[in-house]
Amino acid sequence: MRRWTISNTLTHLFLRFFAANFNLRKKLNQYLKSEDGWLDFTFGLRTETGSVEQTLVFESGRVRVRATVPDPPDAMLIFKDEQALKAAAIEPPNQLMIALMQNKMVTRGNIGYLQLINFYLSLLLKPMQIAKLQKEARGERRAYDPEKAAQTAIGGRRLRQLKPAAIDPGVHFLRDPYLSDLGLDDFPRLKEFLGVHLKTKPAICHERPALLTQWFKENGFETDPDGRPHVPVLRQARAFNYLMTHKKPLIRAKDLIAGTTTTQEIGVVLYPDAHGTMIWGELLTAPFRPLNPYDVSPQTVAALHHQIFPFWLKRNFREWVRQNKGYPTCQELDERFAACFLWKTVALSHTILDYPRLLARGTGGIRADIARELAQTPPNMQEKRETLQAMTICLEGIEAYAWNLATEADRLAGVESDAARRTELMQLAQICRRVPASPCATLDEAVNALWIVWIGVHMENTNAGFSLGRLDQWLQPYFKADMERLANESEREVYIRHAVELIGCLYLRCTDHLPLIPDIGNHLFGGSSSDQAITLGGVTPQGEDAVNDMTYIFLKVTEMLGIRDPNVNARYHKEKNSRTYLQRLCEVNVNTLSTPSIHNDERVMASLAEFDYPAEHLRDWSATGCVEPTLSGRHIGHTNCMMFNMVAALEMALNNGRHPLMRWQLGPATGDVAAGAFKEFDSFFDAFGHQLQLLADLTCQYNNYLGEAHQAIRPTPFISALIQGPLDKGRDVTRGGALYNSSGTACIGLADITDALMAIKTLVFDEKKISFAALLEAVNANFADHAALLAMIKTKVPLFGSGDRQALAIANRVTKLAHDIFWQHTNYRGGRYTAGFWSMSNHVAFGTLTGALPSGRLAGKAFTPGLTPEAHASKSILSNLRDVAALDPAHLNNNIAFNVKVVPAAGERHQQTVETIAAYARAYCDLGGMQMQLNVVSSDTLRDAMAHPENYQNLMVRISGYNAYFVTLNRNMQIELIERAQFGVG
Amino acid sequence: MANLAAKRPLILEIKGNSLDDGPGIRSVVFFKGCPLACVWCHNPESRNPAAELAFDPPKCVDCGECRKICPDRALSRNHPEYVARSKCRLCFLCTDVCPSGALERVGRTMTAAEVLAEVLPDQPFFDVSGGGITLSGGEPTLYMDFASELLRMARRHGLHALLETCGCFDLPRFMDLLYPHLDAIYYDLKIMESAAHKAFCGLPNERIIDNFKALLTAARRDGKLLLPRTPLVPGITDGEANLRAVAAFLSGLGVNQAALLAYNPLWHEKSRKLGIDDPLKGDPAMSAFGDGARLERGRAIYREMGIDPTG
Ligand code: SF4
Ligand code: SF4
Repeated sequence: MRRWTISNTLTHLFLRFFAANFNLRKKLNQYLKSEDGWLDFTFGLRTETGSVEQTLVFESGRVRVRATVPDPPDAMLIFKDEQALKAAAIEPPNQLMIALMQNKMVTRGNIGYLQLINFYLSLLLKPMQIAKLQKEARGERRAYDPEKAAQTAIGGRRLRQLKPAAIDPGVHFLRDPYLSDLGLDDFPRLKEFLGVHLKTKPAICHERPALLTQWFKENGFETDPDGRPHVPVLRQARAFNYLMTHKKPLIRAKDLIAGTTTTQEIGVVLYPDAHGTMIWGELLTAPFRPLNPYDVSPQTVAALHHQIFPFWLKRNFREWVRQNKGYPTCQELDERFAACFLWKTVALSHTILDYPRLLARGTGGIRADIARELAQTPPNMQEKRETLQAMTICLEGIEAYAWNLATEADRLAGVESDAARRTELMQLAQICRRVPASPCATLDEAVNALWIVWIGVHMENTNAGFSLGRLDQWLQPYFKADMERLANESEREVYIRHAVELIGCLYLRCTDHLPLIPDIGNHLFGGSSSDQAITLGGVTPQGEDAVNDMTYIFLKVTEMLGIRDPNVNARYHKEKNSRTYLQRLCEVNVNTLSTPSIHNDERVMASLAEFDYPAEHLRDWSATGCVEPTLSGRHIGHTNCMMFNMVAALEMALNNGRHPLMRWQLGPATGDVAAGAFKEFDSFFDAFGHQLQLLADLTCQYNNYLGEAHQAIRPTPFISALIQGPLDKGRDVTRGGALYNSSGTACIGLADITDALMAIKTLVFDEKKISFAALLEAVNANFADHAALLAMIKTKVPLFGSGDRQALAIANRVTKLAHDIFWQHTNYRGGRYTAGFWSMSNHVAFGTLTGALPSGRLAGKAFTPGLTPEAHASKSILSNLRDVAALDPAHLNNNIAFNVKVVPAAGERHQQTVETIAAYARAYCDLGGMQMQLNVVSSDTLRDAMAHPENYQNLMVRISGYNAYFVTLNRNMQIELIERAQFGVG
Repeated sequence: MANLAAKRPLILEIKGNSLDDGPGIRSVVFFKGCPLACVWCHNPESRNPAAELAFDPPKCVDCGECRKICPDRALSRNHPEYVARSKCRLCFLCTDVCPSGALERVGRTMTAAEVLAEVLPDQPFFDVSGGGITLSGGEPTLYMDFASELLRMARRHGLHALLETCGCFDLPRFMDLLYPHLDAIYYDLKIMESAAHKAFCGLPNERIIDNFKALLTAARRDGKLLLPRTPLVPGITDGEANLRAVAAFLSGLGVNQAALLAYNPLWHEKSRKLGIDDPLKGDPAMSAFGDGARLERGRAIYREMGIDPTG
């Protein structure tokens, strides 16, 4: 029974208005149709109390309004209350998604339809929505001239340089390993590209989905044109081959590297088989949103809306699970944002290809290996045969693309008037005719082969966290061979410059694409790019010092460009690597403000001991995405399969299984705090453990379901061809074909949980200063009227990072708990789950979705990034460093992110600054610390950048694991960075 | 104050990660109590050897717990400084109940072993940076026995040890108890003219000068670092005549390296929290940080007189 409340009537009238517009206005009506026919669906609206209930029915080009919701509708929104409903009607689509994140409403059914409805609303209300977004941008001072800002940014950088002698045994050619005489002014080409990177507004590119959709429409997705079910791996291979063969071969003017990821200068790549349709609702407003706006051409809008998105509405990972697993609880949990974010809705990524083999054998060599294997595979091993065939088809596709690039280079050379550039283009043509098909002979060939394959990776699979690996190791042989061919010192000097320029071009090529981030993502992963991690230094597979000439060349490029992506990670092995190298890592951090992050080689390897990997494979690890270890070329570790909010479990333990923001009795009843259920601390800790277990069970289940979705929708035979394992196992990597398999989680909130548990333990159980019930009451009241209690908590409870033994013990207990719970689970590829303690920027997003905590952290406040101690834990940075270093690596098998914010003294004390930071890093590693990442910037500078973003276009900051430009971050993230503890150095 | 020598000092603070109190990364142990009484003292809380009560208004959440417990009714919202110092008998009941840390006891009773236990965890940082432990204050030489014990223990752990001193101490005891266990000494030479020294610092400076000379001979012999330092206090120590006098004294002794310290006005705030008389409050020259120009002027005088002022 429905009452015709006023709200219900108003909603009804609004929907009637909506329907009438689309029924009567031809310009709007055309959008009800796709290339393949009318977009028919039902979309329900309702409030939690049922005070409002309406449905829009789209059928054969007509929109009607119904006063009941059919069971089930194709999609539905359930609003918390009428106010939330009202806001949804008038806010721009980005706000709607944020409200969804805040659980002001929940969705049911296919989320694609929600995006489609958003798009329709946007068609109707575009002027109003755009005006609102523009006002928001002006209010936050985000609108300024990017061209001028880019110039200011590049002109304002000044590098300070030490100049030690080379002592690393692997450095054969650089006499000054710091290359201190070189600067950006020596490389006009790089300077120009850097300007493009900083000033260009990214644009959505529809090339990839358009070509793929076209192929699938012709050849079928579920079944082939003859009606036979497709073999997914073969289907994907043929589509990939088609895509690579027909992709536009582009070469950027002046570039030393051929090929582009998209047709745009900086292109946002679309993957409608993953989360691509999430941008549907924002297509008209994305150019105007305040954070990280995108250009979208009218052609792109038309292609996406009429040809592409409708085809994929039901063919993506989320919807596959919804259809095939019946909308399980684990999926509902993910779609309510507060406890987890599952990356497999976007990508099955975060891995590192076997580049050494690719460079040494060429795709031709790899195809020969496959052919040999295929010849020995009996016909009854059908999966193996199909997988091997698919791999071959993909490699042929990439070779075709390279060939097209060669043709294009020739064509450009023919019309080029500048003689020097003509020579370069002719060389590029030659290179692309040889590689990646043939073994590489020079550094130029190796870098071009790498890049062409890299494009292929991102054409096959979503550009989120695929990483490049140990490029200094893998490119050094080619650099060395080139150098040895040179006759004299001055030729070698010139060649070193060329190598720097070439690697600089590679870095800037890596900035030619961005992941699609719907505006809600600006709140979840603010300012993140693809996070293409490069790993430097450490030890060789044989355990020797790996630092070489290319290590320092990469560091020079990192320092000169100061860009957020590639995400540079440095391995430091304190027994094998030199202090000169460590000091250089710190100097580059001082000059770039936040990169590279520093990993203690021995500890990262110790954290993986339980896997029993062969030592040679283990020593070849690389950081992936943010910080996580992958065994290069042999391992699908999807090391960021989920962002997991551990604090949600704490809130549920405090509330007897109920999650407050989600208004959901999700967990087991583990005890009523108010009723005095907990007599000692350990029983409460157990309750927390039970809730954590439940959340981990659900998220692992969803990850596994999504893994099955990937197997059905998007196997990746191209990647399979370039990773060790599938050749022998005869299985695609999505089906466990890689030599090693695991899934990696990011467990968020360690410091906040430890501090909250310390407050409970100290005040309630040890010192009995307050009852648990009274503490919870204050927490539920967000400490309003509890100022004295709040003050007491803040001054009397020792925190993680203060050097307090008990706090450290609890932190170790929590990491062990999380590790052990995830370790119990097996993924859909037969691998284990690992636990990491870093957070991208989800410590901010999850923080906004979490109430007050017993630690005195107020509702909505960001958690600390990664496992970084709370800002007021200690006045001395050394206590922070010691506590983090004392965490047992056995529980940290997906690495950590530990932020250290230091501020150099004014004036010319560069050497002291660098030496002090190097001393911190060295002692931290001696004490057993695993990873640290620096921000070398003061809060005052950050505040100024918030007020005057136009002066700080390239101000780079380390979030948690990745780098971002400060000015591209949402306000909450900016404040989190400002409020981090800062320590003076020098 | 010689009677303090055998007593245990109160420890004001142990500050980790100091980069300005000697080479490398150091932990600085601040002793409470000083024989001098410099009007600009930048650690006013370190002058009095006894424990004191500090009140920091911004931290107070006005819960009233302290007022309830104070036996002497020394605390009142009507009192302009909140604490009526004349009534307070320093029983520290209030600091125990204060939830916010607004009321705090200044000065901790500690054994040398306890001090060392707080310092030692940072040893890995000392070791990689050439740092160690610094004794400062206040004036550590007021507590020769305690300081000696602490230094000997620190030595046993291989810590580099440095003393910051005002130079006003009993030389034979110093040479006997502290000197052998020190690697470096930072020695204040504030004002060369003895009468002015007495006027601004409470005591004449003959002893300080004599001790310096004796110490210099010993330090040269033993290869220890003795670094003279002069704080640049506006209008008191930073006049050209005084700086020339210091420099002349040093170069007369063949010393060619000395430090000049920029002025730091934050002590006014500290005095306020402790309710200590501050006659210089509000003096504009005494309220600003030492600027680079003043420092450069001082350095130029030193250089001119053959002394490297960057030490
Ligand atoms: S120290 Fe004792 S006497 Fe002084 S204010 Fe506190 S409670 Fe009162
Ligand atoms: S006990 Fe502390 S917080 Fe409470 S009124 Fe006294 S000084 Fe203020």
